[in-house]
Amino acid sequence: MVSSSRVFRAVVLALRVALGAVFVYAAWTKLRQPWELFAMSIDAYKVLPYWAVVVVARTLPWAELAIGLVLMAGRWLRVSAGAASLLLLVFFVLMVRTYVKGMQIDCGCFGLGDTISPRTLARDGSLLAGYLFLTWTGFRDRRKAA
Amino acid sequence: MKLFVIALAALLPCLAASSDADPGKSLGSPSAPIRIEVFSDFECPACKGLHEQVLPLVMKDYVIPGKAYVVSREFPLRMHQYSREAANYATAAARLGKYQQVADALFLNQAAWEVNGKVWDTVANVLTPAEAKKVQLLAKDPSVLSEVQRDVDAGMAAGINQTPTMFVTRGASRFPVTGVVNYNLLRSMLDGLLK
Repeated sequence: MVSSSRVFRAVVLALRVALGAVFVYAAWTKLRQPWELFAMSIDAYKVLPYWAVVVVARTLPWAELAIGLVLMAGRWLRVSAGAASLLLLVFFVLMVRTYVKGMQIDCGCFGLGDTISPRTLARDGSLLAGYLFLTWTGFRDRRKAA
Repeated sequence: MKLFVIALAALLPCLAASSDADPGKSLGSPSAPIRIEVFSDFECPACKGLHEQVLPLVMKDYVIPGKAYVVSREFPLRMHQYSREAANYATAAARLGKYQQVADALFLNQAAWEVNGKVWDTVANVLTPAEAKKVQLLAKDPSVLSEVQRDVDAGMAAGINQTPTMFVTRGASRFPVTGVVNYNLLRSMLDGLLK
């Protein structure tokens, strides 16, 4: 029993660090290039007005960086994993909508050259499952502590 | 037509185009600080959008003032039945200095020839009978066919997976830009690179 609990904790730790690193990497791919390139990716979804595209393009990469670092540090797990899940849920819904409509655009997830396809949907769907799992463990641990 | 006139004005400095760019398919000065390579497919609707809505503005604001050099590259997608044929004719026309006219005509009439397959009729409409004869011969010339294939190979090597894709280069920095981009964003990016 103790052994399986340790294994579970190790899995959660590995997942937390890996999924935190994914957010940091996603932020890095956007911050190392002109912000307009990410703005073009957002604009291609055709869901936001121009001013909102600019605001999101300039702020989202920093939010991703902060969430990723906090996740990797293991602080405020419920908040950081919850925020990551919410963000990815929004991205995933938009990607599915775009794919269903037959629009061939870059997903904008990790820089450019990542056209929305069954492969990118499977990848982001798996990541979303991972973040939701981490969020659940955060709430579960809090209940246990209480 | 408008693009053609602007293109003609910008074409003159291309006589000394860099060795890897077909001078007949390049616009502006090769010494311009920004280089924009456009990989497109004549049968792709988004490429038509870029050609007709965005590139004329790039020409006016950046190519003619000497800030950017635009190089057209062919990237006919396998899913499009006539795009390779169109690319061959356009590349052949470039040898006669008629690339822009042919490209304009192909994009303008895309909806018709992609259905009826009359690519040649579209191309011939903007050429004199003498030019048409030369272009028809050149379109089968191995050097023209290999030039189109070289563009495709270069695009594949650069990891292109959709058209249109532009590569914006400023010094050692090279950025891929895909789709029919919002010109305000493209302008902001180009201005940022020029600072």
